[in-house]
Formats: sequence, C-alpha cells, structure tokens
Amino acid sequence: MDILKNWRIHCIALIIVMICEWIGAKKIPVGPGVLLFLPMLYAMVIGGILSVPKLKVIKSEEMNLATAVLGVTTLMLVTKLGTVIGPQVVKVAQSGLSLSLQELGHFLGTVILGLPIAIALGLGREAIGATFSIDREPNIAIISEKYGLSSPEGRGVMSIYICGTLFGAVWLGLLAGYLAALNIFHPYALAMGAGVGSGSMMAAASGAIKAVFPDKANEILMYAGASNLLTTIIGIYFSLFISLPVTEKLYTWLKPILGRKNDTKGVDA
Amino acid sequence: MNFRDLTIALILIGIMTVVGNAIGYNTPMGDAAIGYAIMLIITLVGVGLTHIIPVKFPMVFWVSVVALLATAPISPIAKTITFYAGKVDFLALCTPILAYAGLSIGKDLEAFKKMSWKIIVVALAVYTGTFICATLIAQVMLHIEGII
Repeated sequence: MDILKNWRIHCIALIIVMICEWIGAKKIPVGPGVLLFLPMLYAMVIGGILSVPKLKVIKSEEMNLATAVLGVTTLMLVTKLGTVIGPQVVKVAQSGLSLSLQELGHFLGTVILGLPIAIALGLGREAIGATFSIDREPNIAIISEKYGLSSPEGRGVMSIYICGTLFGAVWLGLLAGYLAALNIFHPYALAMGAGVGSGSMMAAASGAIKAVFPDKANEILMYAGASNLLTTIIGIYFSLFISLPVTEKLYTWLKPILGRKNDTKGVDA
Repeated sequence: MNFRDLTIALILIGIMTVVGNAIGYNTPMGDAAIGYAIMLIITLVGVGLTHIIPVKFPMVFWVSVVALLATAPISPIAKTITFYAGKVDFLALCTPILAYAGLSIGKDLEAFKKMSWKIIVVALAVYTGTFICATLIAQVMLHIEGII
C-alpha cells in the first residue's frame, strides 16, 4: 500500500487537526458534572461525518488507508506513555498490587455489566461474543478461531467491535471526563480504569481525566499507560483462558433466569 | 504494513501533532519536533525488535520496553529524552490519531445501520463495565496500599 499516493486524505486529516486544536477544549455542565469536549473528540466526529459514503468526500480506498494508518499510529501513544512511565518506574512498581488487581475489573467488567443486560434484552449466544471482552482485534481472533465469525458468537463480537470503532472513544471520553469532574473517584483510580486495552479509547478516557486534573497530568498518564499495557498484553491470554469459559458458564446459568420465554430466535446483531 | 510505510505514516502523524501542539498548547514547533523525532526513533527500534527477536510478543510490548529503558533512571540520556518528549502534549498526539479513526468510520456505517438498538446498548454496557469495574477496584486497592 502506498501511503503517499492518496495524499488527499492526509491533507484532510491535517486540516481537521488544525481546526479542532484551534477550537480547543469546551466544558458543558450537565447535572452535577461536566461534559468535557476535547479536540480529539471533534476530530473523530468531523472525520466520521466526512467519511459518510453518501457525501462522497472520502473514497473507500482512502478509508482503508486511514484504518491502516490508525493501526500503526497507536504505537506512538505507547511510546509517549512509555516515556512518561520510565522516569517514575519505581513509583509504578510500588502500586503494582493495585495495578494488577484492577486488571480483573478490566477483564471481567465487560461480562459483569454487559452479559446480564445482553440476556435481558433478548440476545442469544451473540451475548457471549459481545460481552466476554472489550472485543478489539485480538479478541476477534479468539472468537473466530473457536466459533467462526459467521456463528452467533462471531456476530456478537463483530457487532461490538464495530460499535467500538464508531463510538467507543467518544463514549469513554465523555464518561471518564464526567466521572472525573464528579470527584467520587481519585484521579489515579480513574487513570488505571482508563487503560481499557484499546489505544483510541484509552487516549480519550485518560485525556479527559488529565484535562480535569491538569496538575496531576503526569501521574494520570503514567497509571493509564501502565494499566493499558497490562490490559493489552495479559488480556489476550486472560480472555482466551478465563473470560471466555466464564462467560459461557454464566450464559447457560443466567439465560433461563433473565432471558425471555419466547426467545428462541436470536436478535439480529 | 511494511517498515517504509509505517515510517511514513508515523512522520505524517508527527507533522500533524507538532502543528496541533503549536496551535492548541502553545509549544514552540522546534522543541516539539525534536521530541517527536526522539519518540519516532524509539518506536521504530521497538518495531525492529519485534521482527528480530524470535520470542513472540506483540509490538506494543517491545515498543514499551524500549521507551521504558530509554527513560528509566538507569538510562544516561533519560533526562534529555524526557525533556523533549514532554514538549509533545499527549492530547496533541491523540487528535490526529482520532482524526484518522473518524475518517475510517464510513466503511463500517453500512454494517452499523443494520444493527439492532439492543446491541448498541450492550456495547455501551461493555465499555462502561470495563472502565467502572477497574476504577472501583483501583480506588479500593490504592486506598488499602496507602497511595491515595
């Protein structure tokens, strides 16, 4: 793939970045907290609108190129966070127990909240693929290998994957910013929570927390980065050997309790 | 993506980051450009290691290892790297990345339109669940460990 041949899309991206950074962050009070809108969220929304096929602004080969670029550039986030963690590596190690245990929240949180809701809404075995993990690329590979992607489980994982691509980052950015402004949780705890294991979602969530607590920016990025690294690397193995079997078991147990009686056909996911 | 394309992609993101960094965070372009260049080298070394070292770990792992070693207290150049890398605001780096994320959305829209609203609710529950559960445990554990 020749990146520079489709130079138009890079110019569009540059213009989007300039406009969004020029607008800057905006806060809108909602209830007891604030919704924090960061330039990266505008960038995602503007990019998304421009890419609507009906508008014919972005060609489909350009979209594929954007996906490829996105795939490698999250590495720069990893590097940036690495340079924040490096000087404070001792401090990170000191909170090793917290960091390790909160990973259980990352790995099982999707099932704990997602599975009962999915079953109550009437999903069939789609619920397993949908909720066993955060459903990014490595998790798709797991489901694909075990059930195939045209199975109900496969449809479940692909649906959540697409939702994640579309609005995962925006949702987590707004949620994290809102929770941070509510002051219920310590920013360090929120930062660890932000390491959900997807580059763009982690960026949006930790960026929002950082924007609410600018004086703790370094620690927030440090904890979010360390947590995200753990989630990404351990997550592959955890979701294969623990999350998936656990989700299966819980599904067979919860389905008769929460599922609807005449729910023989699965929801078209 | 081959090494050449990867390097070009990261340089493109670099240009956008440095420009955005100057507009949004008032950082001189020179300092930020040096910072980005250093981070680019770290990333490329990490990517290179992934291909050279026979033990199979994801790219993210090796890139992190290089970034950590380069800036850990044992590294003689840690201070310089940290100083310049600090000139590139994390948020300025996120903006171009999410711009590309947005620009790639269109191809998923057709599939998305066919989805039931129920799956969207489930998606929100999945993302909320992973974030909140981890935050809750971290809050309790950091408290027990006396860090907060």
